[in-house]
Amino acid sequence: MTTVTIPGEGSVPVLSQPSRQGWWRRFRRRPPAVLGLAGVVIVVAVAVFAPLLAHYSPIVSQFGHVLEGPFSSGHILGTDELGRDELSRLIYGSQATLEVGVLATLLAMAIAIPVGIAAGYYRGAADMVAMRVTDVVLAFPFLLIAVGLAAIFGPSLQNVILALGIAQLPGSVRIARAEAMALREQDFVQAAIVTGAKDRVILFRHLFPNMLSPLMVQASVSIPAAILGSALLSFLGLGVQPPTPSWGNMLASAQTYLYNDPWIAIFPGVAIFLTTLSFNLLGDGLRDLFDPSMR
Amino acid sequence: MTGPVLEVTDLRMEFRAPRSAGGRRVQAIREVSLTIGEGEILGLVGETGSGKTTVGKCVVRLLRPTAGTIRFAGRDITTMPARALRPVRSQIQMVFQDPYSSLDPRMTVGQIVAEPLRAHGRFKDLGVRPLASRAIERVGLSTQVLDRYPNELSGGQRQRVGLARALVLEPKLLIADEPVSALDVSVRAGILNLLADLQKSMGFSCLFITHDLGVAEFLCDRVAVMYLGEIVEVGSRDEVFGDPRHPYTRSLLGAAPLADPVAQRSRERSIMPGEPPSAISPPPGCSLNPRCPLADTRCSTEAPVQTEVSPTGHLARCHRIQEQMSLEVSHT
Amino acid sequence: MAELLAVQDLEVRLFDRSGVVLAVRDVNLTIGQGEVVALVGESGCGKSVTALAILRLLPADARISGQVHFDGHDLLQLPLRQMRRIRGSDIAMVFQEPMSSLNPAFTIGNQIVEVLKLHKGLRGQAARTRAAELLSLVRIGSPEQRLRSFPHQLSGGMRQRAMIAMALACDPKLLILDEPTTALDVTTQAQILDIVRDLQKRLGMSILLITHDLGVVADLADRVAVMYAGNKVEDAEVHRLFAAPRHPYTVGLLRALPRRGRRAGDAQERLTEIPGLVPVLRESLAACAFAPRCPRAQEDCSRQAPHLEQCEVDHEVACFHPEPATVARVLR
Repeated sequence: MTTVTIPGEGSVPVLSQPSRQGWWRRFRRRPPAVLGLAGVVIVVAVAVFAPLLAHYSPIVSQFGHVLEGPFSSGHILGTDELGRDELSRLIYGSQATLEVGVLATLLAMAIAIPVGIAAGYYRGAADMVAMRVTDVVLAFPFLLIAVGLAAIFGPSLQNVILALGIAQLPGSVRIARAEAMALREQDFVQAAIVTGAKDRVILFRHLFPNMLSPLMVQASVSIPAAILGSALLSFLGLGVQPPTPSWGNMLASAQTYLYNDPWIAIFPGVAIFLTTLSFNLLGDGLRDLFDPSMR
Repeated sequence: MTGPVLEVTDLRMEFRAPRSAGGRRVQAIREVSLTIGEGEILGLVGETGSGKTTVGKCVVRLLRPTAGTIRFAGRDITTMPARALRPVRSQIQMVFQDPYSSLDPRMTVGQIVAEPLRAHGRFKDLGVRPLASRAIERVGLSTQVLDRYPNELSGGQRQRVGLARALVLEPKLLIADEPVSALDVSVRAGILNLLADLQKSMGFSCLFITHDLGVAEFLCDRVAVMYLGEIVEVGSRDEVFGDPRHPYTRSLLGAAPLADPVAQRSRERSIMPGEPPSAISPPPGCSLNPRCPLADTRCSTEAPVQTEVSPTGHLARCHRIQEQMSLEVSHT
Repeated sequence: MAELLAVQDLEVRLFDRSGVVLAVRDVNLTIGQGEVVALVGESGCGKSVTALAILRLLPADARISGQVHFDGHDLLQLPLRQMRRIRGSDIAMVFQEPMSSLNPAFTIGNQIVEVLKLHKGLRGQAARTRAAELLSLVRIGSPEQRLRSFPHQLSGGMRQRAMIAMALACDPKLLILDEPTTALDVTTQAQILDIVRDLQKRLGMSILLITHDLGVVADLADRVAVMYAGNKVEDAEVHRLFAAPRHPYTVGLLRALPRRGRRAGDAQERLTEIPGLVPVLRESLAACAFAPRCPRAQEDCSRQAPHLEQCEVDHEVACFHPEPATVARVLR
């Protein structure tokens, strides 16, 4: 075998500008997305560093300071009906709230990705089954699933996560499937098949890594959806059980005092709103970032 | 082994159109037979929708043909199960048209070129790297590109990477599907020279699929012309380009503009009217008859068969060939 | 020949994700009455940007300087309302991809009638009759019926004919064709080229033909301007350009082309490659942009930018060391 040296393009150094550097710069050009990212970072930081940030216990009641307004006696956001510091409960409440959002989404993804890949890449019977099952899941309102699970196993964080995870399955499966189908037709996947690569290699080295960006976008949308869902479940008494604070159950217990002491409802409400907004803005930004036509 | 490397016999490929489009059958390949000898480059020439790419995909088994047989080095691979097919795959490799979508954007060039080696466990004690380096140097790139990602390379460089991936296993047969049609003229020249050089030094056979007659004439030993899922003419390069017999081949050659104003403006223009009909409802008789200047009543009722123009393997699928030939004999 | 369009010192800066791109630099271009001028070059050379700048169709953040004299106006200074009136009536444009420039929701007839209404004030039956006339002008059979077709019901070639018909609706003085046949097959391309050639003769309009295909240039153009990296590097009467190109880039392009009769198998036959890549210029250059790839480059080429100078009658070249006119014959 001889090496053919070609006085062509080949001898010239490659183009510069890897697009990885461009990522942050392109992202930075979208102020809403940057704002969303900042919001998400703040919420995550608050949840992680909750013990350092909170001055009071979120659980221990101080019956001498029940329903004090904001900026009173050292409680910046006031206290709730059991005299617990509202700010500390908000800070600790972010933990359960985020946990539900993230874990429910991870659960959905963990099931959806293999199912979606199998359905989209192999098509045929696997696809048929996957699609019919998602149709069935879609037909059940997720509240019904949550109520059912709570009724059988009793209300708990795990069941909230399970219910919300199942509720998100159909959407995630469909997205994973659509991505796998599109990638299957890409020349580089066809090239891998022609090369004689094993299915395992094609699925893990070609399909999965290239599905990550759209799935990340999906996650950034489904995390806030799960947070809202968990708030709703807590509100109905099916979610995280008191005294552990979550924004949902804070909102639920505040409803009795809504008229006279509105702040204990407003603060968790605003926290939920800002958090879901941040995730959604970030999601929109990521979607634009990964959309080749926007480059 | 002295037989042909690739022998395709009576290949047919039908697709079912989506139900929204009427759900009818589309005959992408109606009947294709071809052979490629050892070290031979066969050009498969045709316009959009002629079925040339489908033939290539059937040969590499990305598609399973509806009927017909594909023999590679004497073995029937038409319906070979996946497990048995894997060792055969190392012998048949493919280069794609689009240098952008044919390389996984998340893998480095080194990983891309090494993929076939890993798939077939061909790295012995050496490791993958030296073999990948040799393949990348063979296509005229420096080994520095091994650690780059495809999006850092130009179109021509990417196409060289695609070629390196296809040739790293030193296959017997290369399927090249329009490998230069997405490239600019000056870059295209480099890839064509490279293909010619590599074919000479490595000795592989090649099915070169293209719509560009100039490229086919430059590179190929033999040429097959496809129209509406059929090979209408096949022969050596000199026969097809120097003495085209099928009216469609003639019209193709006449239609491609020459890059020379004097020759282009003085040549006789005989432009074939109309456009290829839909493959869902091909016309009865000869598929070219609605557009053909020579067509008579027989052409619209009876499908022509391959007719020998010369004993060297120059064939054309046309009723009027015999008459043309006897005419020529009477003239001389 | 009276000048219809005169582009002077055109400079266009565009923005991509890495910053500013000098897409067109110091381009001067004239088109006479009834003249067909081809703007030739590889992708990214600025040929399409030049055309879009003439029509002021570039993105809003593009920075354009220079003058575009047309019919007594400087198009770059014209108020937008007047510019809109000129677009589509005095200057019409046909794009590469007809599907994306036709509205899929309306019939061909609707869209042509719309143009006639807007620019010519034709209504009702008069407009429909004129629309049918236009379709038969571009040799579309049974035009009355075709007026009722939606774009997706037509083939690519038919759509491109409909686009040309629409462009001709207002008897434009200048027709800009941007890669009009690049997306089409050769036989369809030959039909379209034939139609354009015929219409140009009959209607006497000027044409600015933007293409990378030297065959199309040889077929249609009276004069050719070759662009490289945003600059016009050579401008000559078509026969002269092909017979005796002076700029090393033009010579390279012509030699890189596989042409009839050139074969890889023949003794030492190779296509000429132009080494390296087309640069993307981000700031003006005090050197010849082609120098790094040029076989004739000398020291002075990287110190100073050459300007377009007349080397013979009807022939300008921007090069310090052009090919000698007599030796440069690259064609048979």
